Amino acid sequence: MKKIIAVIKKEYKAIVKKKSFIIMTVLTPVLMGGMMFVPVMLMKMGRSEKKIAVADFAGGYIEALSARSGKRPAAEKGPMDLEGSMRRTRESEVAGLIRFLPAKTQGRAASAVVTEYEQKILKKEIDGLLLIPADVKAQRQVSYYATSISDFATNSFISSTLRTVISQQLLLEKRIDPAVVDEATRDIEVDTFKVKKEGTTRSSSGMDYIMSLFMMVILFGVLIGYGQMIMRGVLEEKNSRISEILISSARPTQIFYGKILGIGLAGLTQVALWIVLGAVLVSRFSGMVDNAILSFLTAEIGVYFVIFFILGFFIYAIPYAIVGAAVNTDQEAQQFSTAIVWMMLIPYFIGFSATQNPNSTLALVASLIPFFTPILMFMRITGATPPLWQISTSIALCLLTVWGLAWVGAKIFRVGMLMYGKKPSLGEILRWLRYK
Amino acid sequence: MSERALSLQELVKDFNGKRAVDAISFEVQRGEILGLLGPNGAGKTTTMRMVMNIIAPDAGRVEILGQRFSEKMKDRIGYLPEERGLYRKLKVMDTLLFLGELKGMKAAVVRERGRRLLKQFQLEGYEEKKVEELSKGMAQKLQFIATILHDPELLILDEPFAGLDPLNIELVKDIILERRRAGTTIIYSTHLMEYAEKTVDSLVMIDKGRKVIDGSLAAVKAEYGQRFVRVQYEGDARFVKELPYVRSCRDSGRELEVELDDLSRRELLLRDLLGKVGVIGFQLSEPSLQNIFIRKVQEGAGA
Repeated sequence: MKKIIAVIKKEYKAIVKKKSFIIMTVLTPVLMGGMMFVPVMLMKMGRSEKKIAVADFAGGYIEALSARSGKRPAAEKGPMDLEGSMRRTRESEVAGLIRFLPAKTQGRAASAVVTEYEQKILKKEIDGLLLIPADVKAQRQVSYYATSISDFATNSFISSTLRTVISQQLLLEKRIDPAVVDEATRDIEVDTFKVKKEGTTRSSSGMDYIMSLFMMVILFGVLIGYGQMIMRGVLEEKNSRISEILISSARPTQIFYGKILGIGLAGLTQVALWIVLGAVLVSRFSGMVDNAILSFLTAEIGVYFVIFFILGFFIYAIPYAIVGAAVNTDQEAQQFSTAIVWMMLIPYFIGFSATQNPNSTLALVASLIPFFTPILMFMRITGATPPLWQISTSIALCLLTVWGLAWVGAKIFRVGMLMYGKKPSLGEILRWLRYK
Repeated sequence: MSERALSLQELVKDFNGKRAVDAISFEVQRGEILGLLGPNGAGKTTTMRMVMNIIAPDAGRVEILGQRFSEKMKDRIGYLPEERGLYRKLKVMDTLLFLGELKGMKAAVVRERGRRLLKQFQLEGYEEKKVEELSKGMAQKLQFIATILHDPELLILDEPFAGLDPLNIELVKDIILERRRAGTTIIYSTHLMEYAEKTVDSLVMIDKGRKVIDGSLAAVKAEYGQRFVRVQYEGDARFVKELPYVRSCRDSGRELEVELDDLSRRELLLRDLLGKVGVIGFQLSEPSLQNIFIRKVQEGAGA
């Protein structure tokens, strides 16, 4: 036991005293804050103004389109209002970025206008052509020509605007009071509320999605970072031949567990510092942070982050340590560690769908597979708290896996640490398991 | 308590079908220095690793300090592997603290003894330096300190002089002798015969995994020493090795070390030398270990 503690102490101190550790500990919460605004900023900057020509054979619709695209909704909460901006990035935000230009229709056939604008669109003089036929009111059909037609926000803006204008015209023709018509055709905005055990909060689903992805990226990054640190540490001991001194001083298992525990504790220290720093930052700047983020960052999420960090750490760190012990050069180590990264990427990709649909069968099954659990189950929890039995089953399965991995890892470590020179084959590594 | 510090019985180790160590047996008495000699690839390191239980022998057994190897034993042995290495980023004192605690020492004891040894090895003032800042020789000395830090009863040193400059070789040799005076049993491997000659009490020579010579230094020398003559000379002595009664001859330019097929031929040799070279000195001698070593290895190659 004393020897394990000696190893833990050494490994822990070696990491915590590193400059990179201190820098990352301070920098990550700052980056995290920055990252929350970056996606929104990017979304805003990514959209440039669109010019759409309107061949208005029916008459009167281009004015309606221009009028609606011109009025931007006033900012609701000031510049830090993330949630508001998230909502605006949809229809109304798009609308503000479209300029509608009249196309000459007098005395021309629709096909002539289309031919003319097809050329202009290809030359990129204009982004699109909206053709409103004279009988639009009866047929309810318009045509949109553009190189890119997958912009749903633009499409839905056009159709909803035209529908509103036609509804207004029809109502006005029936001699309904214009005030009533305006009232009847007013836009509707949907506010989203998230129902949670701690209480329901107003929240936009977009914000939750970003936060959830964001936490996952951190978890992913930390797990890879510490895993590779273990791998490099083991490889260093092997290449510098310290391994012989270590093994002639203590049991290989003492060194193996001591190393993993020591580095794990250093990782835990970092996560704990992040949580403390994050809590300080959030409380300090709570006035400036959006409600959606505050409602997302609950103590529960923090606890689960720590639990899944610990489980994920063991599940990925042990394979990394095994790779370090089994190979001889950095290049070989890199090859194997790429395989581990791929294994971690699978839950990440499943996670994209899991954030939007946290209770789908795919998400449920995948999140119970121990190698995916730390990332996926955590994601599901951030999306919508899954039933407790699922969480506890996944944690139990993880613990079992960690136990098995530790057993296998210690065996491979014992032989691999002293095996220099040639690269062992998989068969050989399996034979190592039988050594006593 | 057994008088034997270490006993190897018929140790065998194969690597990929090739026999690296072939039925090697020898014993080391308490308090003596045993030299394990042999050319590169003879199986010295493999033998030592089996003694340290780093690799398991395919056959045979090892007894250390009267018992089979056990975990508890590790704290009583100091092992210096052939390939040196320390944590590059770790500071000197932290290195000693870690390796000392790994041997079950208390931190305070490590500090006290560590400081004393650093001073003895002229590494005073380097406590807070990182290992990567040390020169190669300094790092070697630090590793040696780490090996003897916990005052082991048995020291197993694999090529302790390799990579050291002459001054540091003397230093390490002095420390080895000092340890012996303190009652430590020491086994070391080397191919530097001159140092072995001056320090070992007994020796084991191995070649191609087999033991070729085993015994006390005096006995080994006596066995081979009956037939050797040392000649200091001037001139061209190349003809000597062609003489029918000369079994081997080592020519250093000014000195010949001649092995005769029988000691009675010594006068014949002197007569053959006179008139052809200027003889300055002529005496019966013990063979150097170097000579025994080379002869044994050549015999092995011829066989």
